[in-house]
Amino acid sequence: MESIIKRIEEQISGFVPANVDERVGIVRETGDGIAEIDGLEGAVMSEMVLFDPTADRSLEDALKDETAIYGLVLNLEEDGVRAVILGDATGVFEGMQVRRLNRLLSIPVGDSLVGRVLNPLGEPVDGKGPISGTNLAPIERQAYGVIDRAPVNVPLHTGIKAVDAMIPIGRGQRELIIGDRGVGKTAIAIDTILNQKSEDAATRPICIYVAIGQKESKTARIVAELEEAGAMEYTIIVTAPASSPAAFQFLAPFAGAAIGEYFMDAGRDALVVYDDLSKQAVAYRQMSLLLRRPPGREAYPGDIFYLHSRLLERAAKLSKEKGGGSLTALPIIETQEGDVSAYIPTNVISITDGQIYLQADLFNKGLRPSIDVGISVSRVGSSAQTKAMKKVSGKIKLSLAQFRELEAFMQFSSDLDEETKKQIDSGRRMTEVLTQPQGKPLAFEMETAIIFAAINGYFDAFPPEETRAAQQKLQEYLEREGQDALKLVRDKKDIDEETEKALRAVLDQFVARVAPKKAAPPAEAA
Amino acid sequence: MEKEYAQALFSLAQKPNASADDLVNKLRKNLQDTGREKLLPRILRELKRIEARAESFGEALEVASDAERASAQKEARQLGIAADAQVNPELISGWRARSGSRVIDRSGKRALVELYRRIVTHA
Repeated sequence: MESIIKRIEEQISGFVPANVDERVGIVRETGDGIAEIDGLEGAVMSEMVLFDPTADRSLEDALKDETAIYGLVLNLEEDGVRAVILGDATGVFEGMQVRRLNRLLSIPVGDSLVGRVLNPLGEPVDGKGPISGTNLAPIERQAYGVIDRAPVNVPLHTGIKAVDAMIPIGRGQRELIIGDRGVGKTAIAIDTILNQKSEDAATRPICIYVAIGQKESKTARIVAELEEAGAMEYTIIVTAPASSPAAFQFLAPFAGAAIGEYFMDAGRDALVVYDDLSKQAVAYRQMSLLLRRPPGREAYPGDIFYLHSRLLERAAKLSKEKGGGSLTALPIIETQEGDVSAYIPTNVISITDGQIYLQADLFNKGLRPSIDVGISVSRVGSSAQTKAMKKVSGKIKLSLAQFRELEAFMQFSSDLDEETKKQIDSGRRMTEVLTQPQGKPLAFEMETAIIFAAINGYFDAFPPEETRAAQQKLQEYLEREGQDALKLVRDKKDIDEETEKALRAVLDQFVARVAPKKAAPPAEAA
Repeated sequence: MEKEYAQALFSLAQKPNASADDLVNKLRKNLQDTGREKLLPRILRELKRIEARAESFGEALEVASDAERASAQKEARQLGIAADAQVNPELISGWRARSGSRVIDRSGKRALVELYRRIVTHA
């Protein structure tokens, strides 16, 4: 026994620590989440650094510091660097040693992130314990080039009739959701996530919701809503709340893109929602001003366009050779008083493949979603629309836009001809048909059947003001009695002769059973 | 502006055969010619700051105990750091050397801190 003890003692006394050869710097100045660092020779842009308080402390004191404070190098200067502090900036002090980590800012990515709520560094914040089985991926990456991409041709159903019919979104597309505060921008994104539940598990996209500068209560509500609907099974939340440092709010969308790219690279589909990029731009402006970069229009730095273009360009539909995966992006922009011509909105409008514009006026009239079809557009989505939806949605957009104009005209004239009255009634009905409560996305076949009924005049049997209620009844009726017709639409994704016949049969039955009976004409006088 | 003058002066002073008189005279002349003489006190202050910063990145060698002094100096010299060793018992064992922004840490303290962090992170 003694010999064993002696040997272990020998081993301990003969312990030689590993040779750590690294580049360090010293904090010269710190404030507002920015640290000016001397030294750090050879540091590169976007490199991670570690603020190490242990260097000049005793072992006992060093072990008391369990939380590591990281920084991100953003300015390379002649006599040092400027870095943003990723975490509690109060823990950084003058004279503190800073170590280079020789890697670009990276976060853990992998399947095990699904169902979790993370901060922009990939650390879980949902109290469900650590995440294992992940690899590190840099949060900034060059987007795929032309050769690696394929055309957008697979639909991403949002479950919102107005969007799927008039502003269809394809997998790999970047569709902006834009509007004033409180007009239902987040609701569209969340409904889209909820609707993926109706997709086959094999083709269901992994959804990533990135909350930037949001109230924590709002994010908590969204998590609860997704959990209740069973949508967290395929969703990841990245949150940089309003209380987090500007650096976190700036990084959050890039973290979301890196996670989405992991799934895209694995040949799967992913959907990422950036809620919202206006707040990210504000956070970046704050950081840039503190980093003493020259301000430009509205005090935003000169590279604000590049900030958003390099982020959104990472959304792609990959070629078969690259695995065929896709990353769809739904960025959200908040406007002030409906001003879409402000700096950040125009930037993002020009970068994306279309926009869903939500109007406060329509919202206040009770129309949900409050989409202004006149200026909403999807530039690539129509080629991803299913044949069935394409056939039924045909001219809805145009006729609705005409109706909105006529509606404005109606305010000045009550004396309208029959044709105009008919057009107005039809527009009212269609508006009601496209109205949809929040959190109730519809499966693609149900949307198609309802729009089919609308364009073929099946709702004409109801007064225009009862169309919404009639539509609800039709939905219930189709769920109960029209499963065969719905299955045909779902399987064929087209409205051929057989499908049309089946749909018409069930719709005729519906009208016969549910529509109000017209009063019998008065008996002719004898 | 004073920062740029001080940086230029400092880097010129690092060159071999640099003459302090010559550098100062040329600086004064340049300031006179460009009408910036009032910058001189600020240049001096900046120069002192740069000097202090450079000193904090000078060569240094710390050892945990006297017994390790000779071996530590030998190893550090092989790695290009030729400084006199100072005893710092906080290192527990081994040595730590610095030259510019390069740090070589072979101390027991660093190894223990790293080990502790790994355990805490993966707990």
